[in-house]
Amino acid sequence: MALSRRARQTITGYAFLSPALLFYAVFLLIPVGMSVYISFTNWNLLTPLERARKVGWSNYLYLLQEDDMFGAALRNTVIYALGTVFIGMAVALLIALLINNARGGPLWRFLIFAPVVTPAIAVGRIWGGIYHPAHGYLNEILRLVGLPPQQWLASAERALPSIMATAIWAGVGATVIVLIAGLRNVPAQYYDAARIDGAGPWHEFWHVTLPMLRPTVLFLSVTGLIGAWQVFDLVYAMAVGGTESGTTPARAVMVVALYLYTTAFRNLRAGRATAGALLLFVIIFVVTLILLRVLRRGGLEAYE
Amino acid sequence: MSDPSTVAGHGRIGAARTQAGAVTALRGKLPPHRRAGRVALGVVRYGVIALVAAAMFLPFFWMISASLMTYQESIRIPPVWWPEVPQWQHYAEVLRDPNVPLGLYFANSAIVSSAVTLLVLATSSLAGYALTKLHFPGRDAIFAFFLSTMMFPAFLFLVPVYYILKRLPLMGGNDWLGMGGVGALQSHMALILPFAVSAWGIFLMRQFMMSVPDELLDAARIDGASEIGIWARIMLPLTRPALATVAIFTFIGQWNYLLWPLIVTTSAPHLMTVPVGIRMMATAYSTALSAGRLQAATAMAVVPTILVFLAMQRHYIRGFALTGFK
Repeated sequence: MALSRRARQTITGYAFLSPALLFYAVFLLIPVGMSVYISFTNWNLLTPLERARKVGWSNYLYLLQEDDMFGAALRNTVIYALGTVFIGMAVALLIALLINNARGGPLWRFLIFAPVVTPAIAVGRIWGGIYHPAHGYLNEILRLVGLPPQQWLASAERALPSIMATAIWAGVGATVIVLIAGLRNVPAQYYDAARIDGAGPWHEFWHVTLPMLRPTVLFLSVTGLIGAWQVFDLVYAMAVGGTESGTTPARAVMVVALYLYTTAFRNLRAGRATAGALLLFVIIFVVTLILLRVLRRGGLEAYE
Repeated sequence: MSDPSTVAGHGRIGAARTQAGAVTALRGKLPPHRRAGRVALGVVRYGVIALVAAAMFLPFFWMISASLMTYQESIRIPPVWWPEVPQWQHYAEVLRDPNVPLGLYFANSAIVSSAVTLLVLATSSLAGYALTKLHFPGRDAIFAFFLSTMMFPAFLFLVPVYYILKRLPLMGGNDWLGMGGVGALQSHMALILPFAVSAWGIFLMRQFMMSVPDELLDAARIDGASEIGIWARIMLPLTRPALATVAIFTFIGQWNYLLWPLIVTTSAPHLMTVPVGIRMMATAYSTALSAGRLQAATAMAVVPTILVFLAMQRHYIRGFALTGFK
């Protein structure tokens, strides 16, 4: 009984946290610190890190000024992230409104959810076949409705939008479920009141549903974007290999994560790749902060 | 390291009230043109639902049908929707092929995903307990730190973690200072250890544990129970739904994860997981005649996660709903 209750709780608290903190330190904190150091070297992953030459800001300068592939990767990543998250949100909202309270709920849930749990590499392979210019289903459907066939993944203009469409297909189920939960949290009296005032479905949507969903939509935007800036699996599966559609022009689909993977683990330029990762982090951080400000104004208090 | 599962909040989908009752009550009072409008809306609604359902289902249908086609059928123009004689033997051929050991890939994925899931459950529930039910200085700051790590891109860790794993002491031919040898790189540890902690898992467990009344724990304390005993015998049973949610998300997320296994197993093919294996098969089965086999392999790789999803549907969907809500 020598220790006070408070002291005992402090010791127990840190003891309980210690496994999590230990793993965080070894696989997160130390790596982040190392990343900053590595980004100023020309380390090639193979030699001991201590022997890597320090090169100052040259990795950063190279990425931002000379390497137009990194520039293309940044541009494509921004298009991909904003496009998949916001178009995906609109599609998900439509589906959520359609299937909320619809008959046959479990079947729709299964259908929109099966892609969410399917490995991205399999999704990429499946869609690679569907996009095939000669014997893919997509061009066959175009032919059935009388439209000319198109190049999808092999075209510089259409490759990225095609991958984005697949990403939306693969991820929309997750967004739908969260939105449906949001829809069900709108108090029924609001709808009753709107109907008594003679509001049609359209008015109900604009003046009741959408405002009440705003916090949900903003939350999904923040978490969706954090994930989308880092897209790798799907682009790797659809553009780098494993599709039957032939080769995709690299610059058209190069995203930051793919660029960093290739730079670090294929071309063994770990210093340059790490500098790129830190630049990506700055982008994610700034965009997230901006969105969180909007989110707070949009009613984040509701989450506290 | 990076978290392949999603970010989460906390909520209650179960508290959904039915909107249907209100609609039925009002339906009788609607003027006739309004009622006709609602019927038309219903027709359009189920029409669009059918279209969406077809769009979600068609790719899977194609995956199955392509796995059953002969090469000649798979390249026919216009495309064939279903093979004349299904070639089921593609599945058996893939399973028997010693060059692409699908069984090994499945075993590796099962080992890695299960181990990560168990570790995440342990670290998350312990941390969650400390962050909600114990009071000590620095608690809120540590929680804020956990949350903020969700923003770090995976690539900030990949290169250093590769280096750290190589230097982990007393593993893979290392001495106690971790010099020399391959460290943890050539074992399952390389795929497991970096994912043992999940900010998302901690967040979800914490939110869920907040709803457990303190009085229950105080009563146990008065009876002389230790904190670890309370955690094991009171907290874990009470938070089973949250544990199930974290487990399913972690398991499926790990099973499907490509990037890190791709990096680690380049130099250790015996550790390849299912997603990396499919990638390898795309090379091994690149000849035209084995296209059906590649499709069969892809179809088989999809089965486990779909089965886990079907079996745990309620928890899984609840978990997703939790990700958006208080």
